[in-house]
Amino acid sequence: MSSRRSARSPLARAICWAGLVAPFGLLGLSPGSAEAAEPEITSDTAAQSYDVRSPTGATVIARRRLTTTLGVSVYDLYDKPEDPTGPSLSFRARMRYDADYGGSGAETDPTSSGLVPGFDRGPIDLMYGYVEGRRFLGGWLGFKLGRQYVVDSLGWWSFDGGQVKITTPYFFAAEVYGGLEQRGGMPLSTPRFEREGVWRGDRSGYDPTLYPSFQPNDIAPAYGAALESAGFTWLHGRLTYRRVDNTGASNVSQFANGLRQPVSYSGTRVSQERLGWGFDGTLPDIGGVKGGLAYDLYNARFANIFASVDAYVSRKVTLSVDYDYYVPTFDADSIWNFFLAMPMNDIGLRASWDATDHLAFSAGARARAFEVQTANENVGTLPGSGATAPNSLPDGNYFPKSSLDMMGGGNLAARWHFGEGAVGARSNADFASNGERLGVDIYGERTLETRYVLSARTGVWQWDDKLRPDRDATSFQYVLGAGYKLWQRSLVFVDFEHDMNRIAGQRFRGMLWLSLAVSK
Amino acid sequence: MNPKPTKGVSAIAYLVLVVALVLAACTAFAQDPPPADATPAPPTESTEAGTPSDSDSDAGPGEGGTIGPAAPPPSATSAAEAQAWVTGAELSSGLSPLPNNGALPLKWLPPGAFEQDRGPSAAVYPPQKLTLRFNHKFHVEQQKMQCKTCHAGATTSESVADRLTPKGTACDACHGTTHDDLNRVTPGSEASGKCNFCHLGYKEGDGNLVAKFDIPRPNMVFNHQKHAVRNINCQQCHGDVQELELATRDQMPRMRGCFGCHQHPDAAARGEAKAACETCHVKGGAKEGGRIKTAFPSGEMQPPRWLHNSQHTPDFVQRHKYVAANDSQFCANCHKEEFCTACHDGRVRPRNIHPNDYLNMHAVEGRLATQKCTSCHREQSFCLGCHQRVGVSMSGPVKDSGRFHPPKSEWSDPPRRPGHHSFEANRNLNACVSCHIERDCVICHGGKGIGGGFNPHSGSFVGGCATQFKRNPRPCYVCHDPGAAVLQRCK
Repeated sequence: MSSRRSARSPLARAICWAGLVAPFGLLGLSPGSAEAAEPEITSDTAAQSYDVRSPTGATVIARRRLTTTLGVSVYDLYDKPEDPTGPSLSFRARMRYDADYGGSGAETDPTSSGLVPGFDRGPIDLMYGYVEGRRFLGGWLGFKLGRQYVVDSLGWWSFDGGQVKITTPYFFAAEVYGGLEQRGGMPLSTPRFEREGVWRGDRSGYDPTLYPSFQPNDIAPAYGAALESAGFTWLHGRLTYRRVDNTGASNVSQFANGLRQPVSYSGTRVSQERLGWGFDGTLPDIGGVKGGLAYDLYNARFANIFASVDAYVSRKVTLSVDYDYYVPTFDADSIWNFFLAMPMNDIGLRASWDATDHLAFSAGARARAFEVQTANENVGTLPGSGATAPNSLPDGNYFPKSSLDMMGGGNLAARWHFGEGAVGARSNADFASNGERLGVDIYGERTLETRYVLSARTGVWQWDDKLRPDRDATSFQYVLGAGYKLWQRSLVFVDFEHDMNRIAGQRFRGMLWLSLAVSK
Repeated sequence: MNPKPTKGVSAIAYLVLVVALVLAACTAFAQDPPPADATPAPPTESTEAGTPSDSDSDAGPGEGGTIGPAAPPPSATSAAEAQAWVTGAELSSGLSPLPNNGALPLKWLPPGAFEQDRGPSAAVYPPQKLTLRFNHKFHVEQQKMQCKTCHAGATTSESVADRLTPKGTACDACHGTTHDDLNRVTPGSEASGKCNFCHLGYKEGDGNLVAKFDIPRPNMVFNHQKHAVRNINCQQCHGDVQELELATRDQMPRMRGCFGCHQHPDAAARGEAKAACETCHVKGGAKEGGRIKTAFPSGEMQPPRWLHNSQHTPDFVQRHKYVAANDSQFCANCHKEEFCTACHDGRVRPRNIHPNDYLNMHAVEGRLATQKCTSCHREQSFCLGCHQRVGVSMSGPVKDSGRFHPPKSEWSDPPRRPGHHSFEANRNLNACVSCHIERDCVICHGGKGIGGGFNPHSGSFVGGCATQFKRNPRPCYVCHDPGAAVLQRCK
């Protein structure tokens, strides 16, 4: 049997820590002067208390959450802050503590039958921490070093490592990056940025024969490159490539040890390899187009294609058409890549109207075509009998006549801004063969005398679960909030939410926010 | 429903709310007011933000404020008062850009302006208070004056903090007035030298009291000299002011017009004109998280719709991916990471995305549009973890929360009927992954000897599986023995 224990080696740990700590070390090497640098410390804290109830109305979890972040940034480390087009060097980092004091000890005890693998009652993570240089070498060189985000047509992603970007005066830029993907269970990390489909984390202390679907984590080398236009705002495009590898061991057998072999698989293997492209173009008097795609090289299929066309039909009105194609794809370690998953095709019509400088409306209607099977995809052997049948199922299988299962919906939103406040409404409707949802939220917020903040929100929502008709409900809710601005960008705020529906009865949520910002 | 805890929680929640409100009110009243966001900052060399307007006390009468208590107006003699007032003269011109407030043709507006646009951004160019009657066209066409005759500093100014509107003394030579001492302005002898000839609202007997004139400095970075040196004339940015009587905010440059040079495709024509936002917009420093400053007393900067189609309409939150997926750096010019992470890596439910009571209704929306969920939530950690805790997951430790799916006989037993789970899985596999772990599926879908042998693959699966097997065989082994005959087809 291969090792089921997490294969996180001392070397892997060292690499992870080096990636996290490097930006802090580099701060000491920066060429900036103390006078030029502008530090900033920010913190956001949210304390929440609410119940999670089952469809029977019983409280399943009493969540008592505290989420607090601490951000430290230093800008203008390079001594040329007076030149906005000159080189700049900055450092940004933010840590987070996210606790649920409503969690029980059994949920995190690997020896308890109440264990929820991967659950941590108070994880701490480094959301980002990097040194960024811009416009060095006459504007050609930009770089980032540390834990950083990449946002493009391949999604929202995070890694520890370095990125170098060369911006030419010839309207294009080239970018390369490499490092380790941020993965759950690693030091100061969350699983948020891993590809879907693998339940992964720190198995330290776990019985190797239990919870085999909860996979041991290990470092995931990652690299990527991008070509991007630069200098134009009316025409922009970005072509991007990314590859991430899985390393270390993975549990293969999903059952108790010994039922089958191999129990685990170990080795470097692809996690994701994707190609993405995004573009937009605008003609200010006419309109604009946008588009993008993500192609999964491992699955050899398009995971997502989207396009949007905006027509500026008047100074105040924009009409738009959106298209979205989506097929689920997963981490290459996941079995779900191999399940038959049909694409979704969405088409939407949108309109926005700037009635005045303060009043705006948006409306949209959309339709989605889920594709479904109209005949068997496979013929297999019936378990036990040796006879053949579609998908190894007995005879008498039902297939719909149409390959399209449609759903529709719409939304309407309005917003009115005035001096120190805003009032708005947002409604949404979805209609499908397996469920419906319809509702509206109305909200308002007002700041009085520049420091007292009041807010209110109320809504009515109705949902219809066609798979479980006994779970239909209409919900009425309201939220009342009040706050006080301590100083610029610093606020203490309290709000109270009351939800009412026939399934969960009366539910309440109390929240306390504290935002603090101090800068030079 | 459990009434006892509900009442208890309700009472505690109300108590906390009342205590918090009382504390907030006490704190508020015990402290000095915080610096109002609406107060302009003093002028600084580095930011050029919040610079004073053309209404400070050393301004000429054409731009000066009402004389305040520190400098009481001298008592005017009735003769002088009479000299300052004129009637019957042509006083109707110079009150608006065109006579009788006629519509301004697009060709005379600054480059980049639109027909019937609402003028330049109030955040960048705060609203002005013009209390002067002035006819540019008359001065340029009939008096043969050039722009720099009055706006002398316009070719040498390096900062928006510089005042470029002329002082009253600039008028003296032609109008016969004397504005050297604003407390003792002497009117001219001709009608054109009388105070009310130029100063709107001036009344007979007001002496040196004139209405306040206010042109706030723009909230941007601009160097007139750099542009003048490149022979960029006034009209190239301000439009055909020489055709107008009164010049208003409408003649201030438009960003789209600036792009005519700053994004010119030809490098020689573009010269040193940089396209970066910080070239013209105020760099915020630490107070803005290293981004450009977007909030000003006069308003908040918002992108126009022609800029990446990124107008922040009421439904922008639902369509912003079209912008961010293509050019996230564009967003990052104004937004810090935490603005994005608040939702995309968030721990607190944003109510503008998920309405109240979303916990109870999210299952229905998730089933309809799970791919939207994955833009912020990871299914096999965020969703699965919570579903295991509350007991709606097949594999979690809690087993008494009731079955989520329809009865087993309809949902998962063969043969396939309407409402069978296979249809739901085919059309929205993400929804399955938000609750189920691999083992849940392998029990039935694993190959012979491992699971029930029900084949989940598509009909074309075998055609491409060899490449997948070669690059990562791990998922294959979950359902198939390494030596299984069926697996050989993918080797």
